[in-house]
Amino acid sequence: MQTLAYVTFGVYVLIILFGGLLAVFSRNLVRALVGLVLTLFGVAGCYLLMAAPFMALMQILIYVATVSIMIFFAIMLTKPPVGGEEQSGRPWWVGAGCVVAALAPTMLIARVLRWQPLASHEHPTEIVLIDLGRTFIEPYFLAFELISVVLTVAMAGAVLLAFERRQGQ
Amino acid sequence: MTALTMFQLVSLLLLALGLFGVIWRRSLVGMLISVELMLNGAGLSIVASGQLTDASGTVGHAAALFVMGLAAAEAALVLAIIIVVAKRYGHIESARLRTLRG
Repeated sequence: MQTLAYVTFGVYVLIILFGGLLAVFSRNLVRALVGLVLTLFGVAGCYLLMAAPFMALMQILIYVATVSIMIFFAIMLTKPPVGGEEQSGRPWWVGAGCVVAALAPTMLIARVLRWQPLASHEHPTEIVLIDLGRTFIEPYFLAFELISVVLTVAMAGAVLLAFERRQGQ
Repeated sequence: MTALTMFQLVSLLLLALGLFGVIWRRSLVGMLISVELMLNGAGLSIVASGQLTDASGTVGHAAALFVMGLAAAEAALVLAIIIVVAKRYGHIESARLRTLRG
């Protein structure tokens, strides 16, 4: 059973890696978005592996169904020109600088992670959904309400920004 | 290597990919996609910490749900800003944007 879990984890990591590379390196933005969706599904699989099926469901509902479609609308409404900004190559030293800039903080965190590893349970704890609901309406009530307000304000601001006209137009 | 370390390394991989993408990508939509990768890594790391250590798993779930809500709000706002920039300048290339003043 343990071996099967490791194999499943490896498959999910491969999906995440492939999707992430596609999302970052693909010159076509729609392909990059497909890579992002692949990564999101891989992360949802990791949640399932951690005995958190509710989080996997939320990942698919919120990220795959909402955020991806919003990014797709962004691509569609801005009409990136064919052969435009993402298509032209960049000098090698820019790529090398990007790799160094991305690896520096990551290596630092990985070093801390290896230096002081936390004691990990072999089997994940099961979460009862009633407890999660109680967390949202008892100790974290204010944060829960605030996030709804933030979402509403963001949506209203997005609509206002998208429909605004410049003076004189 | 413990299970927690493995999941944390996967979230670090997502963080590295996202950081790389934010610097490497030229268009604003590509940068938004990379930011979503980083936020996913954060969510994965938080849930793994809640599920596989003595910390409260419910709080881990709640924190990851907050991250998801913020990601949705951020994506909505960035989408609107990208549309305004595309309307005003005719392109969404970050290096060519000199001013974002209203």
